[in-house]
Amino acid sequence: MSETFTKAMARNIFYGGAVFFFLLFLGLTFDTMQQLPGRDHRENITDSVVRGKHLWETNNCIGCHTLLGEGAYFAPELGNVYARRGGPFIKAWIAAQPTGSPGRRQMPNFNLNDQQLDDLVAFFKWTGEINTAKWPPNIEG
Amino acid sequence: MINNTRTSHEIHATPPGDLAIWFFIYAELLAFGVFFVAYAFARANNVELFNESQQHLNRTSGAINTLVLITSSYFMVRAVAAIKQGLSNSCARWIAAAIGLGFVFLAIKIAEFNATFATGISLSTNTFYMFYLSLTLFHFMHVILGMVILAAIMVKALRGGYSAENHIGVETGASYWHMVDLLWIILFPLVYVIR
Amino acid sequence: MQYQSQAVAKPYFIAAIGLFVGQIIFGLIMGYQYVVGDFLFPEIPFNVARMVHTNLLIVWLLFGFMGATHYLIPEEAETELFSPKLGLITFWVFLVAGALTIVGYLMVPYATLAAMTGNDLLPTMGREFLEQPLITKVGIVIVVLTFLFNISMTVLKGRKTSISLVLLVGLWGLAIFFLFSFYNPSNLVLDKYFWWWTVHLWVEGVWELILGAMLAFVLIKVTGVDREVIEKWLYVIIAMTLITGIIGTGHHYFWIGTPEYWQWFGSVFSALEPIPFFMMTVFAFNMVNRRRREHPNKAATLWALGTGVMAFLGAGVWGFLHTLAPVNFFTHGTQVTAAHGHMAFYGAYVMVNLAMISYAMPMLRGRTANSGAAQTLEMWSFWLMTVSIVFITLFLTAAGILQVWLQRMGDTPMGFMAAQDQIMIFYWLREITGFVFLLGLVMYIWSFFCKKGEAQTAA
Repeated sequence: MSETFTKAMARNIFYGGAVFFFLLFLGLTFDTMQQLPGRDHRENITDSVVRGKHLWETNNCIGCHTLLGEGAYFAPELGNVYARRGGPFIKAWIAAQPTGSPGRRQMPNFNLNDQQLDDLVAFFKWTGEINTAKWPPNIEG
Repeated sequence: MINNTRTSHEIHATPPGDLAIWFFIYAELLAFGVFFVAYAFARANNVELFNESQQHLNRTSGAINTLVLITSSYFMVRAVAAIKQGLSNSCARWIAAAIGLGFVFLAIKIAEFNATFATGISLSTNTFYMFYLSLTLFHFMHVILGMVILAAIMVKALRGGYSAENHIGVETGASYWHMVDLLWIILFPLVYVIR
Repeated sequence: MQYQSQAVAKPYFIAAIGLFVGQIIFGLIMGYQYVVGDFLFPEIPFNVARMVHTNLLIVWLLFGFMGATHYLIPEEAETELFSPKLGLITFWVFLVAGALTIVGYLMVPYATLAAMTGNDLLPTMGREFLEQPLITKVGIVIVVLTFLFNISMTVLKGRKTSISLVLLVGLWGLAIFFLFSFYNPSNLVLDKYFWWWTVHLWVEGVWELILGAMLAFVLIKVTGVDREVIEKWLYVIIAMTLITGIIGTGHHYFWIGTPEYWQWFGSVFSALEPIPFFMMTVFAFNMVNRRRREHPNKAATLWALGTGVMAFLGAGVWGFLHTLAPVNFFTHGTQVTAAHGHMAFYGAYVMVNLAMISYAMPMLRGRTANSGAAQTLEMWSFWLMTVSIVFITLFLTAAGILQVWLQRMGDTPMGFMAAQDQIMIFYWLREITGFVFLLGLVMYIWSFFCKKGEAQTAA
């Protein structure tokens, strides 16, 4: 028997395989959506947390920091910063930037008021309570 | 029926059917294979949990399903043999029988899943159920895909699209269906029986 | 050049290379900020430099894809573009919108930019790679849809080859998955989950279809191998890509609050993701070995082969290194990820664009291939850039491993900044290598203007 390898069959496998695995992906996504409320504790998302996330985004914090390991690797992980530093330290730290010490990495001052700092802290606190399968490995992030 | 010795004992230099399906088959076997190895690792770290959870599986329905799929695979062998003799209608009937047993498999499996889900078990219950549900649901989807492929081939056979000379398509579908069967033959003892 | 309207590709290619230069310059700025922290502060803080670096990358790759599409679709469809004018309008709108966005990033603080551009209407900004203001995002959608309309109409009225169909599926997928960038729920876990539908399903999904189609086109042209052979391998390879890559999205769902079964699904399927890249490498070398003609453009062939090898190394091998959940637990969000990102983007998408440009630009300038001297220069640039990216990747990998060791292992882990201080030497080495890369890029551009030797015109 001569070897048969047709373009039509290769094409069918491409389309069939893509659809099949996308359906599987949708199925897993559906299950994930059922499970998430028990893991993200969305009942604790207060207005303050929502405002905090908005501040996180509009100041492009992800451009230097990671949050749950995603972002830039220039500055510390902040998914667990609430556990690592606590609210008052976080507020004081942000307000004290930039340090201005020569040659060191600098964080801009974002001119946040006290309410905004509280919102950011609330966002960090809520983020820290997400069930992340025990990541990061230790408190240093 | 007269058995044509040439076709029934033909030795293939290359895999039967279209080579393209074999890339798909190898990819699937690899995905399942890695999953089986992962299962073995997870079980080795958690023997008690796995043994305990395994008790709750319905081994009878699993065993029946094994027989169902093997028989169905046999029907596909007959379908290939039929088309090699140019018997399009007979080929289509054997494929229909194979698909019919596919439905039986699905029905039994759905009953089993229903019973499992009714007890509140999900992918996140524990590692064993994660594997049990992932592997069986993943396989379940493959049975459906296999049936779709077989149905397409059956329709083409009914329309006289294959002949004794040109039956690559039937072999292609049969190869995939045998893979679905083979996966179950590994999956069933691994997940339901071995402890 | 067989069809007049292919000329539309030229401005796209030129813009792509121009933005590429910008991307590298900002990369060097960031690299220097890694070692001298207050460099250019407060004029260009790191987050701004990074945003410009990554956004320029995405935009110039898109320019490359669009240029490649305008070039290859008329040849594949054997007809002129539906509307060359529309192709040029798309180009200018995209270029101006992109330039304004970059100027916005550099001129005003990000929060001000967000306020100015109506981010409060529908907050989408401030997420990695999707930092563009709302109006830019809407602009991208309009540009891409106009472009897709033009291309789809061209294919519809002409010959429908597998290469054009795969390219179209890839481009339509690109447009569809970009829509997830408009979904930004206040629940961070949901936000991250669907953020990956744009980011992962682009680079490890539909973009690979575009890459495959472009590579197949170049290989057909430079090797003269039968289209049937190349197209069926194209299908098999991209089938493998999607079979492994779609569920492979799960390797991003290990630690962001998603259920733990993703650790298994993500690990298993992404462990298989190197396979299509390996097949692509074998495929490219096989086709070149079975070539039926000696195409005078040696440089384009080199880029095409390089794409296979470097995509396999960067996306395949370096991806696999940290994709298994138990390993990723330690490496997630470290320099290891950065190492993988650099080689994967260079090996897959930068190189395939340069392969396409290398093949098409001489044609667009009325010759089959550049002169021997120009090609020699171009091949030097290939080796300089490729070897530099290999070393950048190795240095970042070393930095990452050390970072994991100091910051994530042991009973007395170091703080982030203390660990960074310990790995400074690798950041210096990376930065120096970055300048070699820039030198390679300058030589690449120089090769377009090289006047020495005779260009080959015999088609």
